[in-house]
Amino acid sequence: MARLAGGVVLLFLAFALFYPLGRVLALGVGEGFALALANPYYWERYRFSLAYGLLSAGLTLAVALPLAFVFRRRFPLRGLFLALSTLPFVLPTPVVALGFLALVGPRGLLGLDLYGTLALLLWAAVFYNLGLALRVLLPVALALEGPLQAARTLGATPFRAFLRVGLPLLLPAIGGAGLLVFLYAFSAFGVPLLLGGPRHATLEVEVYTLLAYRLAFPEASALMALQILTLGLATLLYLRLRPFPLAPGEVLGGGGWGRALGLGGFFALLYAPLWALLAGLDLEALARAWTSEAFTPLSLALVNSLRFAFLALLLVLPLGVAYGVAARRSGLLDLLGLLPLMVSPVAVGLGYLVAYPGLRGSLFLLLAAYALLAYPLLARALLPALRSLPPSLQEAARTLGATPLRAFLRVELPLILPALASGVALALATVLGEFGASLVLWRPEWTTLTLAIYERLGRPGEGPFREAQAAALLLAFLSGLLFYLLDRGRGRWG
Amino acid sequence: MRKVLALFFLLAFGLAQQEVTLLTHQSFSLDKNLIAQFERETGLKLRILKAGDAGETLNRAILTKGAPIADVLYGFDNTFLSRALEADILVPYRSPEIRNLKATLLLDPTFRALPVDYGWVSLNYDKAFFKDRPLPKVPQDLARPEYARLLVVQNPATSSPGLAFLMATVARFGEDGYLDFWARLRDGGVRVAKGWSEAYYTHFTLYKGDRPLVVSYTTSPAAEVYYSEGRYQEPPTGNLFPELAFFQVEFVGILKGAKNPEGARKLVDWLLSRPVQENLPTEMWMYPARRDARLPQVFRFAPEPLGSVRMDPKAIGANRERWIEEWTKVVLQGQSPEAVRRGRR
Repeated sequence: MARLAGGVVLLFLAFALFYPLGRVLALGVGEGFALALANPYYWERYRFSLAYGLLSAGLTLAVALPLAFVFRRRFPLRGLFLALSTLPFVLPTPVVALGFLALVGPRGLLGLDLYGTLALLLWAAVFYNLGLALRVLLPVALALEGPLQAARTLGATPFRAFLRVGLPLLLPAIGGAGLLVFLYAFSAFGVPLLLGGPRHATLEVEVYTLLAYRLAFPEASALMALQILTLGLATLLYLRLRPFPLAPGEVLGGGGWGRALGLGGFFALLYAPLWALLAGLDLEALARAWTSEAFTPLSLALVNSLRFAFLALLLVLPLGVAYGVAARRSGLLDLLGLLPLMVSPVAVGLGYLVAYPGLRGSLFLLLAAYALLAYPLLARALLPALRSLPPSLQEAARTLGATPLRAFLRVELPLILPALASGVALALATVLGEFGASLVLWRPEWTTLTLAIYERLGRPGEGPFREAQAAALLLAFLSGLLFYLLDRGRGRWG
Repeated sequence: MRKVLALFFLLAFGLAQQEVTLLTHQSFSLDKNLIAQFERETGLKLRILKAGDAGETLNRAILTKGAPIADVLYGFDNTFLSRALEADILVPYRSPEIRNLKATLLLDPTFRALPVDYGWVSLNYDKAFFKDRPLPKVPQDLARPEYARLLVVQNPATSSPGLAFLMATVARFGEDGYLDFWARLRDGGVRVAKGWSEAYYTHFTLYKGDRPLVVSYTTSPAAEVYYSEGRYQEPPTGNLFPELAFFQVEFVGILKGAKNPEGARKLVDWLLSRPVQENLPTEMWMYPARRDARLPQVFRFAPEPLGSVRMDPKAIGANRERWIEEWTKVVLQGQSPEAVRRGRR
């Protein structure tokens, strides 16, 4: 069955990634390749990307790890806070930049100008990636209870139990979360640039400029090779961390209002830029935007966002599960599965145009693009849970006469449902956050919430600006709600 | 009669309704009723594909040469005209509407690229900020530290107004002088934003930024009034230095290998027709190319600048990449103008 699942994923990757990317790389054979690698400016961009990626991953982990332990216990509003943690992940970068600058920009509310400082860039990194790291860490943190109890029973102090048992068991998840944050921060497209100016452009920004504006394929290929090499190396390092089989754990009792209050304070601080945006909420503007004549009405954009998110999920879900099943025992496939996060989306997008001119502006290509970028996240949330299932479960079911598929569906799948729910939440966030639309040509009638925001930010005037702000808050609310619903469900399953 | 009409509609729509596809940039926008009317009158279904900004859109058309992704390409401007013509992706079309267009806009004698609209990239200033403070008097003043730190521009590598402003400085200060001007701007603390939206909505003082001088369009002050829901009777911003305004013309062309050449011609005629031309000013904030198109009221706040920069598309085509590269070296990489000039030889 693993072989079949692997085949499905490879087939999809061949269509949606390898072939189009290959077509673009084939355009990139030329003298510019060596020229780009000799240009010190690009190496400066590379160094910045590396530093930003590593610092972001380190800092995000430092915050997410203690937080994962806070979330091990049940306490009032726990689901709400979990939902909150992933909320920024879907917000379009210009809107988030607006929030940050409204708070700590040159004329910000706080009167403290952090524009262009490292502090601001790292704050933004944690702001964006915390939920991602938390979602990878939490399932493992929950599963730790059994082994920790065992260690305590054998006489270890709580600290020693954590150090000698908890930490080693957590290590693969820490590596996984760190790697994901590194992947995202290293190839961040807009955030550091918008908050720090052009000195804070990542290599990804240069690749985009070279491809989309200058059609300089050789130079772009050189930089992409550098990116893939770096990220591939990081992934190989991560794959060396062998996960331990852990039975999925339950949420513990015992947390009270103290935890809720503390977390409330924490999120109030971390999300201060969002409050700055919220302060600018204008219900009239929201009402205007809802039925707008001049721009895509939000009523349509909202329906589109939800429609695409759920349609994409139809592709993402089987792909993510198939990938999880195939990669649970294969490191190589695991590496391949992360590839969509390593390559520049604009390269894939141009590849689609060259490779499939017949599919121009087709909904199928749009959904495939969404799926390509969303399924690795679903799989990331799923893999630790799958790998923690002891093989004996499958074997027992098989001995009792179940087919491999039936054994998976009836025995293993129910056990990984909590992880699946959190993976679905992540995948939905990716789709709502609109990475896919930048890949393909889009049609006005497909305008989603994110695109509706960009549309308004493209015209000068207070009306469009306020409508964009209102739309951003609507998007934030929508994603918060989706996460809340999924996590509530998860509470029941877990 | 009703039956005849029904049969007519069946013929027009029911039987294989044909499609015509327009590839355009993200700022494209027209009244929905006009589009519906076009579809009704021609029996064609208009499919609009958007592909990023003007430069990205053209590049996607070039990349798919031979197997075009659309029938008509709209929105490439004079800064990219030579690239579009050299790439040989368009076929000539002598639209009957050409005689109604302003002759000065017909920049392509081969009629592969027809002008649809035009406008100017221009410096805007925040009137409230400069109420008690003196505005810079001549373009050179911008490079003085007290003004350089009030200015936000867009990166010409990633933004079309940014590129237009860069070319305006080349035209005004010359091939040797423009780098010195930019080096002084850099030392004085000019801010470089990625694109127009960031510059305008996060750095311009009108929207909580700290820069009262921004590179935008001559029509932006009028748009501020139009979108203010009655809050402004007069624009809160103004245009500065007509001699630094850069003239842009947006073109339309039929793509080579178009699947529906007949529909493509109809689409081009329609874009040049009077109803569309009179609609586009308040949709895309450009001036119509047609001589007889009436401007909306609000355009009284967008007078055409006198003595603006008009650059030959061929000269742009020959130098565009080099200007961007040299600008990047001086402004972003901090090299000296002398070193960059030495590197030319």
